[in-house]
This record gives sequence, C-alpha cells and structure tokens, in this order.
Amino acid sequence: MKQRILLGVLSIWTACFHVPSIARACSVCLTGANDPTADAFNWSVLFLMATPYTVVGSIAGWLFYTHRRSAAKHENKEKNETAEGLVHLTWNPKESGR
Amino acid sequence: MAKSSTARRLDEPLAGVEQKQPAFGGGEPPAPPVRPNTPVGSNATLAVAMFLGAEAMFFAGLIGAYIVFRVAAPIWPPPFQPRLPIGVTGVNTLILLASAVTMRWSLRAVRANDRKQLIRLLATTAALGGIFLAIQGFEWIRLIRFGLTVSSSVYGGLFYTLIGFHGLHVLGALIWLLTVFALTQQGRFSKERHVGLQTCCMYWTFVVGLWPVLYGLIYLY
Repeated sequence: MKQRILLGVLSIWTACFHVPSIARACSVCLTGANDPTADAFNWSVLFLMATPYTVVGSIAGWLFYTHRRSAAKHENKEKNETAEGLVHLTWNPKESGR
Repeated sequence: MAKSSTARRLDEPLAGVEQKQPAFGGGEPPAPPVRPNTPVGSNATLAVAMFLGAEAMFFAGLIGAYIVFRVAAPIWPPPFQPRLPIGVTGVNTLILLASAVTMRWSLRAVRANDRKQLIRLLATTAALGGIFLAIQGFEWIRLIRFGLTVSSSVYGGLFYTLIGFHGLHVLGALIWLLTVFALTQQGRFSKERHVGLQTCCMYWTFVVGLWPVLYGLIYLY
C-alpha cells in the first residue's frame, strides 16, 4: 500500500515538473509556450480550478465537525442520564459464582 | 431513587474477566440506541455557509482576473502610477483582525449568558469595523487625488474593483452587525437562541478572513 502511494506521488511529481515546455502552451493554438501571458492564464486557471474544491471541502468539513461535536454532546448527555439512577445488571461468572 | 446495584454496569467490564454478552436472535450485536431526530445545526447557519461559498467563488473570479494581469505584466506596479499605502493599510489590517477577535468573543459571551459583555463586544466590533472603513475611504480619496482612478489604467481598475467590492461587503456586514446590536439591546438573544448573532459572526469572520488575502495579493505582491 505504501509502495503504491509512493509510486503515485512520484508519478504526479514527474508529470508536473518534467513535461516539455510545449505542454504549457495554449491547448488550442499551441503557441505561447514560454509566453508570460500564457503563464498568467495557466496560473489563473489552476487557482480557479482549486477554489471550488477548497470551498466545498471547507463547508463539508465544517458540517462533519459540527455533526461529530453534536453526537459527542448527545452521547455525554445520555451517559449522564443513565448515571442518575438506572440499574444495570450484568451477569458474569465471577460474581454469580457459577 | 433506585439504589446503585452491586453488580457491574454493562459499560464497566471487570479487568481480566471475560464478559458474556447476551445473545440476540443468533448473536447479532444489539441495535444502537435510538436518538431523537434533531438537526445538527440550524437551517440559517447552513444557508449562510452556502451563501459564503458563493461569495468565495465571486472573489475567486476577481482574484483570478487580477492574477492574469499581475503575472503577465513585465513591471508591476506599472510605471507612472501612484504607489499604494502599504504601512497604513497594514495597520488597518490589524484593526480589522482585532474586530474578528471581538466578534468571536461576543459569541462566547452569548453562550455564557453574559448580556453586558455581549453588548460591549458587539459595540467594539462595530467601532473597529467603522474605523477600518473610514481609513480605507480616506486612503482612497488620497489615491484619487494622486491620479489613481478606475479609468486611469488597468492597475487602477483592478484595485478599485477588488478593494471596492470588499469594502462593500464590510459595509454590509457592519449594517448587519448594527441590526444585531439593536436586537441584542432588546434582549432578543439568549444562550439557547442566538442564531442571528451566530450567522452575523460567520459573515463577519468571512469578510475579515478575506482581507489579508487581498492585502497580500494587491498591496504586497
């Protein structure tokens, strides 16, 4: 499993940093490989691609955290309620003597 | 009140003793306890979270446009344009960040049912927000006098669009905060019921959290 993860990370690193410069050109007209304007658009596109994942991930993470906190609070409340006088009987060999 | 039993409780097993679990129709584990169907948070906070997501995307679009011009330009800021007031705006940033701290404290105060502290903190937050807007306005007037306007150059257009929209958002947050302040004076919020304050706090935290990003990108980068 660890080897697979390492292989995946190495592949991504190779893909990102060792592509020929023509791959950074415009995908339609294939010009501007080392053009600052093309570079600027690439960075802008990368930023705009990452933003929705960040936003949705943040909202989902906040909902998950709120749910966990609420569930923990509810469990504590239930534990406190059961500690207030309910009797639980447990059968175990040692106490029953059998 | 029932006496506590000498028998062990189900959730306190004896160390080293194998506990026999009761069988349920073939050894299935018991069903989990049934919880009442209460929502985790209020609908209002969820709605505001969605709204903030939309606002984040709006600013992402503007920032994306800024990135295109900034990275493509050989010299930035462009020549013959007034320089932005980094120092004053840096102090203004600290003022705005302080307002976020007081806003979070006000949420803590309402959860502790401390009404006086809540009113004090809301007033402080509103004052800090107002000071931020006043300083921004003053700096804008100076920049316009120096020749940086929306139509003077792309630099001016980008600056006023990004900072202007953020300023509008802060103004909207301030109006919301003043409304919440008025409702607090009327005693509308309590420990159990303060969704209006919570949503206002969420929006305030968003506009404050957005500002360092804009300051770093436009003033410093």
